[in-house]
Amino acid sequence: MDKTEIFEKVVKILTPYVKNPDALASVTRETHILDDLKVNSARLVDVVLEFEDAFEIEIDDDDVDSVETVGNAVGLIESKLG
Amino acid sequence: MTAAAISPVSSEARRALKIQREVTRLLSPLAFTLVALVLRYAYRYRVQGMAELRAAYRQVCEEHDGPRLICANHLTMIDSFIIAWALGSPWWYLRNFRTLPWNVPEASIFAATPLLRGLIYVLKCLPIRRGGDRREVAGVLSKLAYLISNGETALIFPEAGRSRSGRVDVAAAGTGVGRVYKAVPNCRVICVYLRGEGQETYSGVPRRGERFRGSVSVVEPKTDHTGIRGSRDIAQQILARLAEMERSYFDARQ
Repeated sequence: MDKTEIFEKVVKILTPYVKNPDALASVTRETHILDDLKVNSARLVDVVLEFEDAFEIEIDDDDVDSVETVGNAVGLIESKLG
Repeated sequence: MTAAAISPVSSEARRALKIQREVTRLLSPLAFTLVALVLRYAYRYRVQGMAELRAAYRQVCEEHDGPRLICANHLTMIDSFIIAWALGSPWWYLRNFRTLPWNVPEASIFAATPLLRGLIYVLKCLPIRRGGDRREVAGVLSKLAYLISNGETALIFPEAGRSRSGRVDVAAAGTGVGRVYKAVPNCRVICVYLRGEGQETYSGVPRRGERFRGSVSVVEPKTDHTGIRGSRDIAQQILARLAEMERSYFDARQ
């Protein structure tokens, strides 16, 4: 799976949690998940669990701390997929 | 059970925590007495069955003199102070200092001014910015894990915020409590359910003259999951117990 496919899948997973549709319309790898997309921080765990299911990977607690932007999420998933 | 998934606390942070602990030991009897007086006489709060509640907490502490994690339902911004007051008297905390729980209040509210920062410093608080930088949040969780590993008690709300529906929401489980629990071997989880008669939903502070009732229960979460899924699973088990306690609360009220 290449970066573009991962990016598209990540955005699709994030979509139901996004409170700022304008930011979603122009989403890039630099888009901040909490600050720009306004995803509720309390719901970030649901997002990450969906990443696990969708990509069949396992994400450690510490890994989540480094996920701030959509690009961070893509990079994390890519690293887990090997 | 997964291995600990929490970053180690730096030696600098450990020193700072030791200093805070000693300052707190000296000043908390006065500070906590003031808090208790404010709750009792300014807000006119009452806790029905306070003696039984305190006895239940005392018994759990006597049975387990190791790491303790208090997990409670969350309806107002001052819950942690009300819970600490409900579970022990200033005199008892003075003699059993480690049972006075550390708290993680919201920094934007409780650390907004130097006066507030000073007050919460001596009340065993580590301010946290919920929804802030994830690494900062993780750093505070690491400090909590370090403290309870060293025999202290901490209070965490397993829902990631106040109960928006006014009821314990198992689906709202965060992962913080699970991360701390996994990082501390032999940790005892003490569930505390406390609610006022007039608390229909979440709010800033309970109404003046509120009458609370509560219960204490020990839970031993176990999970076969690893990583973040394991942390979530642990938090949900704790919240499931709090939801049971909530049902008992309302059954008793009818």
